[in-house]
Amino acid sequence: MGRRVLAIDTNRCTGCKACVMACSFAKEKVFSEAKARLWIVRAERQGIATPVLCEQCESPPCELVCPVRAISKNPMNGVVEIDSNRCIGCKECFWICPFGAVSIDVEKRIAVKCDLCDGSPECVKACVPRALQYVNAVRPASIRMEKQSMKRFDVVRR
Amino acid sequence: MDLTRQKIHTKPLTDDLRGEFLGSRGVNAKLIWDLMRPDTDCFGPDNVLIFGAGTLTGTNAPCSGRTTVTCKGAETNLYLKGSMGGHWGAELKFAGYDHLVFLGVSQKPVCLWIDNERVEIRDATNLWGKNVEETDKVLKEELGDEDIKIACIGPAGENLVRFAMIMSCVHHAAGRGGAGAVMGSKRLKAIAVRGEGDIRVKEPERFGLVVGAVREALAADNTAKSMYVYGTSGGLAFTNSLGRLPCYNFRLGQLENVYPITGQCLVEQRYLKRRIGCFGCTISCHRYSMVESGPYSGTGCGGPEYESFASLGADTGVIDTQAVIKANQLCNDFGLDTISTGSVIAWAMECFEKGVIAKTDTRGLELNFGSAEALLTMVPLIARRADSIGNLLAEGVKRAAEKLGKDSRKWAICNSKGLEQSMVETRCSKGYALAFAVNPRGPDHLHACPWAERGSSTEAIALVEKLTGNRKCASPYLTEYRPEIVRWHEDCYAVTDSLGFCMIASLTSYSINPKNMAKMFSFATGHPMDDSEIMLAGRRILTLEKCFNVREGADRKLDDLPWRLMNEPAPTGPGKGLVNSKEELDKMLDKYYLLHGWDQRSGTPTRETLGMLGLKDVADELRKLGKLPAH
Repeated sequence: MGRRVLAIDTNRCTGCKACVMACSFAKEKVFSEAKARLWIVRAERQGIATPVLCEQCESPPCELVCPVRAISKNPMNGVVEIDSNRCIGCKECFWICPFGAVSIDVEKRIAVKCDLCDGSPECVKACVPRALQYVNAVRPASIRMEKQSMKRFDVVRR
Repeated sequence: MDLTRQKIHTKPLTDDLRGEFLGSRGVNAKLIWDLMRPDTDCFGPDNVLIFGAGTLTGTNAPCSGRTTVTCKGAETNLYLKGSMGGHWGAELKFAGYDHLVFLGVSQKPVCLWIDNERVEIRDATNLWGKNVEETDKVLKEELGDEDIKIACIGPAGENLVRFAMIMSCVHHAAGRGGAGAVMGSKRLKAIAVRGEGDIRVKEPERFGLVVGAVREALAADNTAKSMYVYGTSGGLAFTNSLGRLPCYNFRLGQLENVYPITGQCLVEQRYLKRRIGCFGCTISCHRYSMVESGPYSGTGCGGPEYESFASLGADTGVIDTQAVIKANQLCNDFGLDTISTGSVIAWAMECFEKGVIAKTDTRGLELNFGSAEALLTMVPLIARRADSIGNLLAEGVKRAAEKLGKDSRKWAICNSKGLEQSMVETRCSKGYALAFAVNPRGPDHLHACPWAERGSSTEAIALVEKLTGNRKCASPYLTEYRPEIVRWHEDCYAVTDSLGFCMIASLTSYSINPKNMAKMFSFATGHPMDDSEIMLAGRRILTLEKCFNVREGADRKLDDLPWRLMNEPAPTGPGKGLVNSKEELDKMLDKYYLLHGWDQRSGTPTRETLGMLGLKDVADELRKLGKLPAH
């Protein structure tokens, strides 16, 4: 079976932010970019958009810098988790993340991040063009290969 | 915002307004009815320009990111409701605002800066004269944030070109009718918004369930899928095969080789670089295309959409992908509606062909059909009102034909209201013919797009069967039952616009329907409504819009179609010989007014009908002005 990962295909992303709204709604019952755990970076004039979210690193820099060991990688599902009871809001993880995937909750003042929604990510469900997919860990490479080989037949798939 | 006195007032949106007029387009209509007097100059301080984000804009309701722009239109001097996508409306909602109402005229160029609750009128002298992209870039730099959302005009709006548009987020236009010129007349260059707040719905669980079901329906829908892959222009080839594509100023309905101006060409020839979605849209029909070789290498722009390809390409005869992308980019950046621009240039080309416009009028330019040079030279001239020809065409095809005379009104593709017709061959699309004739802003598809009459999907046929009792009525060649079909689409479209939904989801895909719109509205606002109640609200809204026109002196005589389509039969294709004759139109109009409960002679809503819709005060005002039909 193997572990699943959240794979991004930036070519399919249209910048609609359905994923962002799905996330904040699922986690905080409101629609708010600030309260989501993933974001869309848009370069409007060039028509470019891409999701930015936690990559659930194998050696997470956030885990390394946390002074109270509130962050750990769950060995069962690979999710990098923040223990909200331990978090002191020092923001070291916020600053160290290479993707900017950690945010500081405006009200609680502690670090929050993507937890892959207990194995059923809401953002993936919301993404109709399938720019976000929750796939078997061996698949991401094969998605790219599938796209490349299809190009030889001059077919652009969804 | 009182731009004359540079003063800002804020008011809460009341529950009553929500309940009666839903939001966005509906509330805009009520506001503009209350705030305006008849017979005002569309470029004067008494014209009111209103922006309204959808009730559901900013939520995860699929395809609910649209904003309505309402004013007295520059082309028609009648009601203008325009609509723009992008992300601007959502940002406005996150800032805590639903509507922006602009009164008066500013002495100097200004822009409005909405930074969450804080609203400020800023000097925009340094932005005046800049193209749309440049305005977006400079304003974002000035305000120090690439994430703000900007709605702005280009030079065309500043120069009061009658079909100048307002651009949301660089690529999404409130295109038709000259809202950009009205904005320019107020010297309002741009509205920049930063919204970082929360949006809540009253019943999150139930809202979420409906949203999930609607999302699934849209994801499975073939029309929606096709829109994502090939865009709105993916349907051009099919339309052409049915002889319904206007070409050479509506003289032909079909091209031999339509491929260069299709969505398929954009994808297959690698002009398409990105698919773009408005806020919360699961379809994402918008395009970003680039030309990377040839004389226009380096050109990139949002689109081209179906209408842009049809107008700038088929209608002018310029069947050239690269040239049309270039023309589209020019229109977008100058802030010109592509539909009117193509139509007015096509008219000028026919004038040139007939010798009514000569080379002496065009500084030696050969204004020939099919000439990319002519097309690309004319667009900037129009935007700048440069040379007598640019200035003439900038007035729109109706005024230009009136000025030029020599029977040129016979090939001016606008109706008596004055808006250029959008690129639909109504001679062989009778439902569209009726919808175009009755549209308060003029003959286009963005009032009651009766797509179902084509019977090109199972959902479409099912809807026609529901409305007429007979699935065989799903044929655009029939005139029977067109009033019933148009009326349903009108009501549904009013609800669609007011909630912030995109009509592609509700009137082309039909995945978003009155039932699920009513549910989403109820669970979001806490104001319970079922499908018949929400459709009644839609009816109330469009009836109020009609009353605005009645108040301006419009009557049945303005519910017509362009001279060519009423008098010259379609020359080729499956619709050959068909015409939108007055007799045929009158028959459909009689039934349409009857269904609405409007006076058949004048087309005016009766006191009884207005009372039934809760618009008694509107009836009273019309009676005082002597505009209510005697009963």
